[in-house]
Amino acid sequence: MSSLVVLPKTPSLAAPRGRRFFEALVRRTLLTCACLAIVIAVLTAWTFFHGSLPFFEKVGFVEFLTSIRWAPITVPEGYGTLALIADTAVITGIALLVAVPLGVLAAVFLSEYCSVRLRAWLKPILEVLGGIPSVVYGFFALRVVTPMLQDAGLPVGFWNGLSAGVVMGFMILPLMASLSEDVLYAVPRSLREAAFALGATRGEVIVRVVLPAAMSGIGAAFILAMSRAIGETMVVALAAGRVPSWPPNPIDQMMTLTTTIVNIATGEQEATAFIWSALFAIGALLFVITLTLNVASHFIVKRFRELYE
Amino acid sequence: MTGPETLTAPRRLRHRHRMSRLFAVIAAGSLGLGVIVVALLVFTTLRQSAPLVNMHATAQAGLALSQRAVDGGALLGPYVAISQVADGSAAAAAGMAPGDALLQVGDTKVPDVHGVWRTIGALPGAQQSARFAWIPSLEALLGEVEAVPIDGSPGRFRPRLGYLPAEVLAAKAGLQEGDVLVAANDLPLQGSQQSWQTMVLAARANDGPLQLRVARGGAEIVVPFAVRREADVALHRDLGSALWHFVTALDEPRYPEHAGLSSAILGSLLIVLVTMLFAFPLAIGSAVYLEEYAKRSRLTTVLQVLIANLAGIPSVVYGIIGLEVISRALDLKRSILAGGITLGLMILPVMILGCREALRTVPPWVRHAAFAVGATPSQVVWHQVLPYAMPGMLTAMILSISRAIGEAAPLILLGAFLFVNYRPQGLMDTFTVVPIQIFTWSTNPQAGFETIGAVAIVVLLVILLLMNGTAIVLRNRLQLRW
Repeated sequence: MSSLVVLPKTPSLAAPRGRRFFEALVRRTLLTCACLAIVIAVLTAWTFFHGSLPFFEKVGFVEFLTSIRWAPITVPEGYGTLALIADTAVITGIALLVAVPLGVLAAVFLSEYCSVRLRAWLKPILEVLGGIPSVVYGFFALRVVTPMLQDAGLPVGFWNGLSAGVVMGFMILPLMASLSEDVLYAVPRSLREAAFALGATRGEVIVRVVLPAAMSGIGAAFILAMSRAIGETMVVALAAGRVPSWPPNPIDQMMTLTTTIVNIATGEQEATAFIWSALFAIGALLFVITLTLNVASHFIVKRFRELYE
Repeated sequence: MTGPETLTAPRRLRHRHRMSRLFAVIAAGSLGLGVIVVALLVFTTLRQSAPLVNMHATAQAGLALSQRAVDGGALLGPYVAISQVADGSAAAAAGMAPGDALLQVGDTKVPDVHGVWRTIGALPGAQQSARFAWIPSLEALLGEVEAVPIDGSPGRFRPRLGYLPAEVLAAKAGLQEGDVLVAANDLPLQGSQQSWQTMVLAARANDGPLQLRVARGGAEIVVPFAVRREADVALHRDLGSALWHFVTALDEPRYPEHAGLSSAILGSLLIVLVTMLFAFPLAIGSAVYLEEYAKRSRLTTVLQVLIANLAGIPSVVYGIIGLEVISRALDLKRSILAGGITLGLMILPVMILGCREALRTVPPWVRHAAFAVGATPSQVVWHQVLPYAMPGMLTAMILSISRAIGEAAPLILLGAFLFVNYRPQGLMDTFTVVPIQIFTWSTNPQAGFETIGAVAIVVLLVILLLMNGTAIVLRNRLQLRW
């Protein structure tokens, strides 16, 4: 009878100690990986602060941003980036003139008209086009588009901002199209159906209902495309030339902020020379511009999402 | 009764539908335009790369050609100079020597190097040799030449034949030492090098012997001078061997027909290897932490915002970071290791975003089921979540890696050398990569380099197309599953 009282010892439900230690270790390791983003961000800030400090000790912010004379290796030196910023703006403008209308209309076709089967073909094609490296687009601009423009009788030089801008437009078109398509896709179906029920044609639904509803999202896509165009390097380094043009004239050579960086890096100057700190200053300017645009774009997207969710 | 109202309503409706259809056509056209323009650009580049076979054929025949321009004198224009002739080659056997100038290939006069390659490309398919016509170099043609001033025009000189050995062509044509050359085919001759160039252009224009006007002993006589030499040269136009030579040879700064991509291909491979080893574990780790472990905390929000913004920084900015932090502060200099880590930093944010996307496609009940049978978090991740998410993560990785392969800007900043004529042996060597090689070749103004730039582009695009294709197939399979 007494044997009934002897119960087997209940096993502990808690995981064994070794296992708990291992779990904590895995968690710590993964957290460390994730925190690398913070490290990168800090390194970025440190790089630009530390690198451009000697530059701004010698050249003032005002001269840096408002002088049009960029002549770092002639005497007297000039470190004004206004002409560079203007050239960057013009080339970016040309690129956006190509990419935005075509990209938004392409997105409209993909999301509103296209059959599912055709879309299954077109989307990968767009992705492949978006995956073509920028140095290849630079070759297109320099060796294909510029000769074409010259054959067509335009007085463009071997290097010119026009072909660089146009080709860059086609380069960022897939990005613009896919971002806009996501936005159009997020417009609630009920809006379209309500408009159809009132007797609107398909075109009217898109122009009067879907596009206005998606406008803020398309604005965000526009800003991202702009940021991409401003930061684009190889197309302009290959095709736009190495002399800033003031006032900006797209059929002439133009030099953007990114080309300037490449120029300094591939130049003959010693890596310790003062001009290298100018590289960090321009890099910092570029970083601030693109970061501002990206943050603005994220902010708009967030508000857009809140509108419909 | 047909009042105006009943007529106008359908007409307006028709108009509205017409506008709607028009809009559809415009939208479709925009997409088509974008795709077609880029396809056309790719196609044109493919066509520009076509002369590679012919360039390889002249290189195989032992020739290195370069384009020169006549800078003064009676005739202006480009001509093709033979810069090098390899020993024991077909061209050497035919009697060509460095310094000669090429006049004609087959029946076509060749003013520039592209003319040579185009002509060779236009030879009938089976023809494995072509008749080359050339004019010997200044020394072989005229021996030693002295300059005599021209009466009445100061600063101008005519060539006078100095030392004239018997094997020099001029001696065979009956010219003598001390003869002053006045004109060839009625084109006035000036200076020694310039006279020779004038004779090159004159000989290219007319097939027969040059009518050389010579001042000898106070009188001017006309001497027919056969300067043109011809021979059949065997040519091997073989696409396979041309491509093989291109991907295995080293870069060559002056003669595009001899240049190759091998150090750039090797550099790209090693760089991508470092990038993968650096970025893959970190990206998977971060994504798993953010998706599977992280609770909603301030740290998590900060991390998400940072990663999203880091993904949008231009690549050239990453180059600057790599230059300052990795190349200088960590003292990795201009090595493959530094380049690979820089590219790794660049693609890391995008890769994390892609991996998180993939992890989000794993349905929650997979995790719940595993937890319910007593799995620990790491077991859930390792045995359930990661296998399910693998195809999606692989897609994200392939796409990021193909971006790293095509990227040139950060590596240019890091000091990837613009001319590398050795193969990197280890991770601490200096390097070049395919996109930078494309950059240097397509900015080289010398004729022929844009052709090999186009070929390098084709090589790069084929690699990327294969990678992107794999990624797309993987993703489609994944989509079928869920």
